[in-house]
Amino acid sequence: MSERFDSDVSTTCGYCGVGCRLEAHAVDGRVVSITPALDGPANKGHTCLKGRFAHGFSRKRERLRTPLIRTGDGSFRAASWDEAIALVVSELTRIRDGAGPDAIAGLASSRATNEDCYVMQRLMRAAIGTHNIDNCSRVCHSPTSWALRQSLGLSGATGSFDDIEAAGAAILIGANPTEGHPVAGARIKQATLRGLKLVTIDPRRIELSDYGVLHLSPRPGSNAAVMLGLAHVVARDGLVDRAFLDARTDGYDAVEDLLADYTPADVQRISGVPAADIERAAHVYAEAAEACILWGLGVTEHRYGSEVVRLICNLALICGKVGRPGSALLPLRGQNNVQGSSDMGALPDTFTGYQSVADDDVARRFEARWGVPMKRERGLKIPEMFDAAVAGDLKAMYIFGEDVAQTDPNTTHVVAALRSLEFLVCQDIFENETTKFADVILPASSFLEKSGTFTNAERRIQLVGAAIDPPGDARTDFDILTTVSAALGHDMGFATPADVMDEVAQLTPDWAGVSHARVGRRGLQWPVAADGTDSPILYSSQFALPGGRARLAALPYKPPGSEADEQFPLVLVTGRRLEHYNAGTMTRRTHNLELMPGDWLELHPDDAARLWVRDGDVVSVRSAHGRIELPARLTERIEPGHVFTAFHFPEIRTNLLIGSSADINTSCPEYKVVAVDVRPVAEQASRTPAIAAAT
Amino acid sequence: MTMIRIEIDGTEAQVAPGTTVLEAVRALGGHVPTLCFDERQDPFGACRVCMVGVEGAPGPIAACMTPCRDAMKVSTSDATARRVAAATVELVLSELPEPPAAHTELATVARSFGIDGDDLRWPGEQHVREHDERHPYLALQQELCISCGRCVRACDEVQGAFALTATGRGLHANIAAGLDQGFRESTCVSCGACADTCPTDAITEISLLALAER
Repeated sequence: MSERFDSDVSTTCGYCGVGCRLEAHAVDGRVVSITPALDGPANKGHTCLKGRFAHGFSRKRERLRTPLIRTGDGSFRAASWDEAIALVVSELTRIRDGAGPDAIAGLASSRATNEDCYVMQRLMRAAIGTHNIDNCSRVCHSPTSWALRQSLGLSGATGSFDDIEAAGAAILIGANPTEGHPVAGARIKQATLRGLKLVTIDPRRIELSDYGVLHLSPRPGSNAAVMLGLAHVVARDGLVDRAFLDARTDGYDAVEDLLADYTPADVQRISGVPAADIERAAHVYAEAAEACILWGLGVTEHRYGSEVVRLICNLALICGKVGRPGSALLPLRGQNNVQGSSDMGALPDTFTGYQSVADDDVARRFEARWGVPMKRERGLKIPEMFDAAVAGDLKAMYIFGEDVAQTDPNTTHVVAALRSLEFLVCQDIFENETTKFADVILPASSFLEKSGTFTNAERRIQLVGAAIDPPGDARTDFDILTTVSAALGHDMGFATPADVMDEVAQLTPDWAGVSHARVGRRGLQWPVAADGTDSPILYSSQFALPGGRARLAALPYKPPGSEADEQFPLVLVTGRRLEHYNAGTMTRRTHNLELMPGDWLELHPDDAARLWVRDGDVVSVRSAHGRIELPARLTERIEPGHVFTAFHFPEIRTNLLIGSSADINTSCPEYKVVAVDVRPVAEQASRTPAIAAAT
Repeated sequence: MTMIRIEIDGTEAQVAPGTTVLEAVRALGGHVPTLCFDERQDPFGACRVCMVGVEGAPGPIAACMTPCRDAMKVSTSDATARRVAAATVELVLSELPEPPAAHTELATVARSFGIDGDDLRWPGEQHVREHDERHPYLALQQELCISCGRCVRACDEVQGAFALTATGRGLHANIAAGLDQGFRESTCVSCGACADTCPTDAITEISLLALAER
């Protein structure tokens, strides 16, 4: 094949968390084609329209090619790297010396490599001197990470995608993989065609529901009741794995007492799911010899999202379905490196490998390595950073690879926070909603232009290889961050990203045996022992908690932070579409835009009739926090009373509707339940149906 | 599990029950050309290019579809098998209006048999040029289709979109997306698995159409 191309580079996809291995083919410094690697462990020679085709953004005209500095009149002017970095250093130094290091905060990116994220958190901790570092997994899977650590010990899937094919049954809750994680979606669909009994749980009847044995549509925010109901039936019908519970877990007695309150009839009342379906779903899962539970942001992005993840763990533990091939807990991670950015310590409370900043032994190890003293108190989480900025306590931010003004909830508050800052550095590949508030913009590199590693949803560390160079004067993020750090007086001493991974391995017991050479083509699933042995399946003999025992949690159902009422009678759920990816920064700059040029609001025909909305009409969607307009599309795949849209299009600004309600343990925003009012806009007489048709 | 003992080109090997002859040959590092085979799909047995000789068999067999049996002796260089396979490839090439591009699997297979596209023994009717470039990424060039079925199976068995079907018969057999209304209007999810598996570029990427062969 290669005679048509100048170069063929093996790399790992920079879109979702499935972690497809790809071969990128380049001609004249541009990627012209991408094909799936036949030996990719997660994709097995397949990939989706994002991984395969959506690479054209990398050479779009509007790519940032030179540093930009804000001028007196508010516009930007091109600047040299020396000038831009000198300004970053002088401003950050001024603010640190005047207001202290905690007046500065940084954000790392779940789209960047492990090495980039590690360097970013070291920049904030060692060069600036603050634990105010977070990453965008805060707004997606932080509840998963927290709950898995509480229940089982480690922050990651307990198995691999291969477990889907080894399972007899699976529960898929709060995820739409054929759109959000297409290659995992294809694997699940193929498994159902070969006999996997799939139960889907989602307010929308997703595509995979058509291939499953049962679909449950709980009211948004009632996932906890459904999980408790399933556990109730398991306990009631004698499907509990008592030997597993006794030998390997603590806390079942309290859970058993709690389950008495969640009969299928009770759960039907709370969630709207028919009692008979709760019973049948519980039997499908518990009676399979091996079964998986997969979930996505429909579980986590709720007020009690982290508690629902603990209830998912409960169900698996009660049935003894953890730690064997085919019995796995598989969170579908949103972005390519959501797992890795948190693993690398781009979090306000942990260093690499979730080692607490409050642990004196751990902190001493990092202090010795970096040659700086550090606080033992955690830094600010993302929402706290914005609050602190509005309050005037946080004065500068360094935002790397994240468009918070589009993707974070309560956009008005975020914008107010960005306006309040004295100094904002954005490091990105395009100008975006956030860079509008920047003082300095540093032109960075996309995943096709850098080397390092990503960690996928299976905890699999995989190599990223540079297929092309960054455009113009743009630089790799590794290069920019290490240069800024050195200019701030903290020379990290890394020549290449591989050196970064060597330091991670030395400071992180779970990554002790990781090196770029060992990662190779097959990847390594952490924990990786010093001899290089990795861990495709966790907890086959013991859990990573004191005594080796998992912890069940007796957590009751609690109503969500937002509920439909007289004023806002419909519930909005947000999610993803197949053709686009998150803020759309990359996919909207490819031909994927031709395949999906704009977004729409999914509305049930019964609601539409009552609201006098016809298919294609522009509607206003109003919440207590804001209002947007977009076309309506009628579909029976959504339950009456609910509406759905995505957040890929900045002109729609879906997140104006989202308030500050967030997960109680992790501050992950409640993107999935927003009470809204929908009505047609700009009505002309001809658009209004006859009274007879509307009644 | 009782292993099966076989002999391939004089080399003895043990394989698990259910292993096909093609898998066994490849596991031993040997080579048998294929056209309709893709390791991501179930074997199909349509192209008859993977023919090999088996001692005691009445004629050559298709390696991709044949499970190994105990004491089987396989010859990948069997003269009859090579002659049959080469004739098949020549007939396939005879239907194309132009030789396949050098990078394609079909061209590679033809080279492995020493077949020169300009000197075919059985010239005959050829496919008529018919292109569909309505999709932003995927191009369909019907005249290059050899009806191997790999694209249809990729769509069914790898992606699960069930968007592609074979239509027509004989020389007029074509690939259609949906009810022949094109990729975009079908259930196609634009994953590109069809283009990835196509051995002739009958389905390929628009961006590669203009790319010169070197």
